[in-house]
Formats: sequence, structure tokens, C-alpha cells
Amino acid sequence: MDFLELVNFYIIPGLVIGSIYALGAVGITLVFAILRYAHLAHGDLATLGAFLALAVVTGFGISPLAALPIAILGTAAVAVGIDKVFYEHLRERPKIVTVMASLGIALMVRAVVQVIWGVDSESYVKGIVRPDVYFGLRIRDREIYTVIAMIALVGVLQVFLTQSKWGKAMRAMSDNPNLALLSGIDNKKVVMLTWIIAGGLCAAAGVFLGINTELKSMMGWNMLLPMFAAAILGGVGRVEGAVLGGLIVGVAEELSVLVLPSEYKAATAFAILLFMLLVRPTGLLRGKVL
Amino acid sequence: MTTLLSLQAVTGGYGDANILHAVSMTVSDREIVVIVGPNGAGKSTAMKAVFGLLNVRGGSIRFDGDDITGWVPNKIVQRGICYVPQVDNIFREMTIHENLEMGAFLRKGDLSAAFDRVYTLFPDLKERRKTPAGSLSGGQRQMVAMGRALMLDPKLLLLDEPTAGLSPKYMEQIFQICRDVRGTGVAILLVEQHAKQALEFADRGYVLAAGQNRHEGTGANLLADREVAEMFLGG
Amino acid sequence: MELYGLLNYALFMGVFIGIYALLALGLNIQWGFAGLFNAGIAGFFAVGAYTSAILTSAAAEGRIGGFELPVIVGWFGAMGAAALIAWPIGKICLRFRSDYLAIATIGIAEIIRLVIKSEAELTNSARGITGLPRPFGDLDYMASQAAYLGIVLVVLAIAYVLVERQFNAPWGRMMRAIRDNEDAARAMGKNIEYRRLEAFIFGAALMGLGGALFAHFNRSITPEAIDPMVATFLVWIMLILGGSGNNRGAILGAAVVWIIWSVSEIATDQLPHEYAVKAKYIRLFLIGLLLQLVLRFRPEGILPEPLRGDLRHTKEGNRS
Ligand SMILES: Nc1ncnc2c1ncn2[C@@H]1O[C@H](COP(=O)(O)OP(=O)(O)O)[C@@H](O)[C@H]1O
Ligand SMILES: [Mg+2]
Repeated sequence: MDFLELVNFYIIPGLVIGSIYALGAVGITLVFAILRYAHLAHGDLATLGAFLALAVVTGFGISPLAALPIAILGTAAVAVGIDKVFYEHLRERPKIVTVMASLGIALMVRAVVQVIWGVDSESYVKGIVRPDVYFGLRIRDREIYTVIAMIALVGVLQVFLTQSKWGKAMRAMSDNPNLALLSGIDNKKVVMLTWIIAGGLCAAAGVFLGINTELKSMMGWNMLLPMFAAAILGGVGRVEGAVLGGLIVGVAEELSVLVLPSEYKAATAFAILLFMLLVRPTGLLRGKVL
Repeated sequence: MTTLLSLQAVTGGYGDANILHAVSMTVSDREIVVIVGPNGAGKSTAMKAVFGLLNVRGGSIRFDGDDITGWVPNKIVQRGICYVPQVDNIFREMTIHENLEMGAFLRKGDLSAAFDRVYTLFPDLKERRKTPAGSLSGGQRQMVAMGRALMLDPKLLLLDEPTAGLSPKYMEQIFQICRDVRGTGVAILLVEQHAKQALEFADRGYVLAAGQNRHEGTGANLLADREVAEMFLGG
Repeated sequence: MELYGLLNYALFMGVFIGIYALLALGLNIQWGFAGLFNAGIAGFFAVGAYTSAILTSAAAEGRIGGFELPVIVGWFGAMGAAALIAWPIGKICLRFRSDYLAIATIGIAEIIRLVIKSEAELTNSARGITGLPRPFGDLDYMASQAAYLGIVLVVLAIAYVLVERQFNAPWGRMMRAIRDNEDAARAMGKNIEYRRLEAFIFGAALMGLGGALFAHFNRSITPEAIDPMVATFLVWIMLILGGSGNNRGAILGAAVVWIIWSVSEIATDQLPHEYAVKAKYIRLFLIGLLLQLVLRFRPEGILPEPLRGDLRHTKEGNRS
């Protein structure tokens, strides 16, 4: 196999799926760091986002990219709502209780998708898209959009977190929650902001997964493990780590096919997760260990 | 001098058990008051009581004309008390400047005057404002912590063992900063392990043991008290 | 005829409740007593089912196994295999907060599912393993069903007695001390990781046994025999509703939830096909909602954890 082949058939698809994982992993890492629990409904929120976009695409006949902002807003609103109705009153209880609640939410969100949209595969646009060739690299437009959108969204988030008052408040809450409260930072607003961001990014992950593959009711749940592996690989609480982790997990999954039967692609993320917990639980960029 | 803070027979604790038993103390305007006592005496707990972090079951806490018993920390901050906890009192992953900014979170509008004030008190911090606070030395961290608390321009500053683990040189520097801070019109209530040095530098002091008042008086009087010296100052 | 059908259904239900009760007991060891979050119950269940199937079935072309060992050997094998899978996972994850274990168990259940689907030499892939022996399987239908229910109940009773005894023994006291105040227990020099590992492994072994009982009842096991997510979640709601930390609560929860679940299935199956399919998901939604309601309004469950003297009323507040 020559180098171009390696890039075309493994690296590029890996970076694309990795960008999608990254979008989800950033939300997971923020929730993990600020709210301090593993949110198991994250994947299914991505599914919901993807199907919300499908509704807009079929309803108004616009492209999935144009539907993306609506899906982001809708999913962010759902995420905030779920927090208010189901998670908020568990805040004083041990965090693991909320982890359990989120497993139930995962099931509920998925059930809603299955009732409304059924369990068959759907897609935004019919037909096969052939890749264009640039200097021997085979790339589809949608793959370019995916990577660029990920970079843009995470870039905006980084600017928000490092430059704005409320972004800094989120970092402060992640850094030292007690001191943040003593400084008068409004915990409730920070939590809400976290869910808006995490929910929005979930939707983006779901929509781009739908654009690049297809929409299924299990699509998000199947992404949960790679997304968590990415967040932990990068270091919990590290946004840039989640991106790095996502890309590594994506590429590693594609490359795994070279040494493992392709059925076990999904095992790659699991192996990475256990490996990191074993040798470096703080992740590549020294995140938190809860 | 008018009384700024007063605790009247405060009784309370974290869970059901009481840690403080009818503790009383006062701090006046522009006064430096120190609380000393053995480990586990309830010194930190007394501070937390002021800051609304304790279940207060008896007595009352008044500040600047208001009964603040049972207020949430958020409201107390706004009312003019800032608190530097004994441990974990900085945002490690944020820069010095961001730490200060978080201290002024409740303040609307232009912060430059507040930054100037704090950077004047702590010139070292200004030079390193872009440095993550977690990478600083112990003494500098304590300055960041105090700086953060001063950003809101409080009337009263609560400091819990600001010199713990610091070298004598830094200890002297922290005490000097306390005097400077008082010079800007802020009263200070602090807990100290270095009882002797603290009593020398404070206006007044309280000796707490087993959650109760034991002695009180001016620093000089307490230092001269034979019993205090034997029991709490190591002879 | 009516009566016969009803009786048959009751026996069926009894067997399933017994098997789920075993799973709930296993989860109670992990969650109720050690505070460990296992989101991969179905994985350990499947490992048990397949292990026993491989050990006890007749030889077949192109597949390892067919050892035709006695059923009881299969069942112990099932427990051993599930424990063996739990061991490395626990070893790696139990140093951290239970969130990490939750994620890792989701992962291991997924891997187990992949192995079952892809490794034909081991599991015969999609067709599964059939023709498993069933104790008293030679009796006529009703008698055989009843006999199997008897076996399940005996196994459940033994498990219950053993687990209950452990809980009241110093071991159980230590587990609760660790769960309720990890720092204090650590300060007293308890080997927390090791104790947790024990609890995780014991619990997994019971889940494996549940899987084996299930396989032999059906005389077969296939990848489609259970929906992993639904099964895992049902066991969780059984334990939480019944009362985590209470073994009788776990069994009661299994009965209540399984009756609700299977009776509602019968009810919705009467609907026209189009709605019947949707109804399944609506039931899933409602069972998820039930968990949220229990967590909010009755977190201690129907039968709260008994006060064993060493328990403080602030139990939950100290768990982290
Ligand atoms: N967060 C807490 N929860 C329960 N008990 C506490 C807590 N913090 C301190 N205590 C208890 O309160 C008592 C007084 O502690 P503290 O006020 O920290 O003492 P000091 O600061 O004088 O050394 C001690 O017995 C300590 O164990
Ligand atoms: Mg103290």
C-alpha cells in the first residue's frame, strides 16, 4: 500500500469521523469538568440533533448545513430542559446518581426518536457522492465541511472561554467550584451555559455524522464510547485535548482495520480508553481525574 | 470606631453536631483582628459561619447594620465581605489576571481602577499577570488569593491562615500587606497559626479553644497574659 | 384451555422474574453495597449464557465446544467466565470514580456483543447455539416448566442467603464503610480497591449465572435473545425501585418491574402492527421516566436499605 492510499482510505476518513467525535467529546469534557459527572445521554442527544435537522431538511427542503443552526438551537434547548427537569434536583446528591439518571435519559431520548422517526436508516440527501481528487487526495466536499465546521465551532468556543466573562466563569467553575461560588459566580447560569454549549455541539456531531454516513436511531449511542475515549485521551476539561483525542480515536479506528477484523473497529476506542486509564489517567494534556 | 462585624453567641456546625458553642466576637472599622487557638478549635469554622457556609443554629451575625445570619455567600460578597479560604484559594489553571477578574465577577463596568489598586498592593503580581496561578510559589499564591478577594473593594476581608507554610520572610511580607490593605480602609479578620507574631501585629485578638471563646483583648495584653502564653503560645 | 394458558404464562413469568432477580441481586452487590456503576449487565449475562451453552451442548461442525458437560458444570463455568471478564475491567477502573466504570462497562458489553456476532467458531454467530440440555427437560411440557421454575427459585434462594449473609458479616460492614465514607475507610487502612474488586467480581458472577439459567430455560442462546440496553436498564430500574442496598428489595423490584414490563407488552401487542411497534418505544420511554421519578421522589426505593447499626442516616450524603 502506498502512502497516498493510506491517506485516502484511512487517514482522511479517520480525520472526518474524528472531527465528529471531537464535537461530541468537547461537550462531554465540559460537562465532566464543570458538572463533574459522565453524561451518558450525550450520544443520544446527538441522534436527536441529527433527526431534528432531518425534519428541517425534509420540511423546508433546505440543505443539512442550512438546517444545522436550527438543530443546534433545538438540541441546546432540549439539553437545558433535560437538565432543569431531571438533573437539577439531583445536584445535592452524589454525582453518580446523575450518571444513572442520564442513562435513563439516553433511553428516553432514543425512544422519542424511534417513535417519531422510526428505526430505519434515513439520509439527508439520496445518491452517492463521488470524491473529488486534489493532488491525488480523494476528498468529498462534505468531508471538508465537516472538518472546517469542527475547527470553526471549537475555535469560537475557545475564544468564548478565554475572552468572555462568562466563558471565564465556566473555566473558574471547572477549576475550583467552591472558590467560584465564594467569588459570587452564579452557578445556575454557568450550568445552563454549559448545557447550551454541550447540547449545541452534540447536534453538530449528529448532523455531521448524518451528512457523512446515515441517520439511525442508534447512531449516537454507538458514538458514546469513542467520544468518552476522546475526552479522556485528551484530558478531562481540556477542550483542545478533546479535539486532539477525537482526531486520534477517529484515525486509530480506521487504521485498526489494518490489523484487526473490521468488525472490531468499535473496540479501538475501548482499548484506547482502558490504556489511558491504565498509564495516564490525566490524558495527553493533563486534565482532571474525577 | 464603629463596629463593623459582630458575632453574638453563635452556635452551629456542618451537620447536626455543633462545632461552635456561643462564640462571640467583633471587628471594628479598619481594625485588624486575629483569631488564634489550637488545631481543630473551630477557627476556620467561625469564619465560615460569617460567610454563610455553616448551619447557624443559635445567635446572630451582624454586619454593617444588617443581620446577615443565614445569608447565602453570594449576597454576603455583594454586601462587602470577601473571604480567602485556608486551602484551594486560587484558580490554578487561570492566569493571575483572570484570578483577579473572577474576584470582581459581581462588579459591573470598568475594572481598571480595581486592578490598579490590587496591582499597587502586589507589584510582583503585575509583572506576572499572564502566568497561570498554579505555577506560582506558595507566597505568591497567597497574594493572588488575597488580591482576588480585594477586587470587590470589600469593607471586611476574612483571611484563613494566610501565612501557613510560608517562610518567615514571606510571613512578614503578608503581614505588611495586611497593614497596607487596612490603610486603604479595609478591616481584616484573620486566623493565624503563628500566634505570637500575629498578636504582635494585630490590634486585637481572640483565643478560641474547643469551639468556645477563651480569651480576648488587645494583642499586647494577650501576649502578656500568663495563661495564654502557657496554653497557646508554647510557653 | 384458558386456565392452562394462564398457568403456562405464570410459570414463564416466574422463571423470568427469578432470573432477573438474580441479576438484580448481582447489581445490588455492586451498586447497593459497593457503589459501583455497572452499565454492562447484559454483557456479563451474555458471557454466562454462552459459556454454559458451549460447555454443555453437543458437538457441532465448525464450532469449538460441544463438551456435553453436566449442566451444573456449565453454570459454575458461567459464573467463572463472567468473573474473569470483570476482573481486568475492575482492576483498571476501580481506582477512579464510578463514572469511569460506567463507561468501561458500556464498552465491555459492546465488545462482548461484537464477539458474539462475529466469532462463529465460538458462538455460531447469528444462528446461536441450540439444543442445550435442560434439567428435567424430559418431563412433559407443564411439569418441565414447573420443575425449571423450582430450580430457578432454589438457585435464587441460595444466592439470596449467601449474599445476605455476606452483607451482615464483617465483609458487608466494611463495604458499607467504604461506600459511605471512602476517606475514613482509607484512613483506617482498608484496601478499598481490593474490596471493590471483590464486589464487582461477585456481582458479575451472579449475572453470568443469570445468563446461564436463561439459556438453558430456552434451550438455546442467540445474539438476538435479549436487547442489551433494555435488559441492562430493566435490571437497574428493578434495583432502584425495589430498594438498592436491600436484597429483598432487589427481588421485589424484579417482580414488580417484570410484571409491569411483560403485561404492558401483552397489552400493546393487541394494537395494530403499526402502533404496536411504536408502543414498544413508548414503553421504553416510560420505563426511563419511571427511573427519573423514583430517583426524585423515592430514592430509597420500595424497601429501603435496612439500618444495620453501622449505617448512619446520612448514608447518601457521603457517597461520592
Ligand atoms: N467540612 C467539615 N465538615 C465536618 N466537620 C468539619 C468540617 N471542617 C471542619 N470540621 C470539624 O470542625 C472542627 C473545627 O475545625 P476547624 O474550624 O477547621 O478548626 P481550626 O481551623 O481551628 O483548625 C474540627 O473538629 C473539624 O474536624
Ligand atoms: Mg483552620
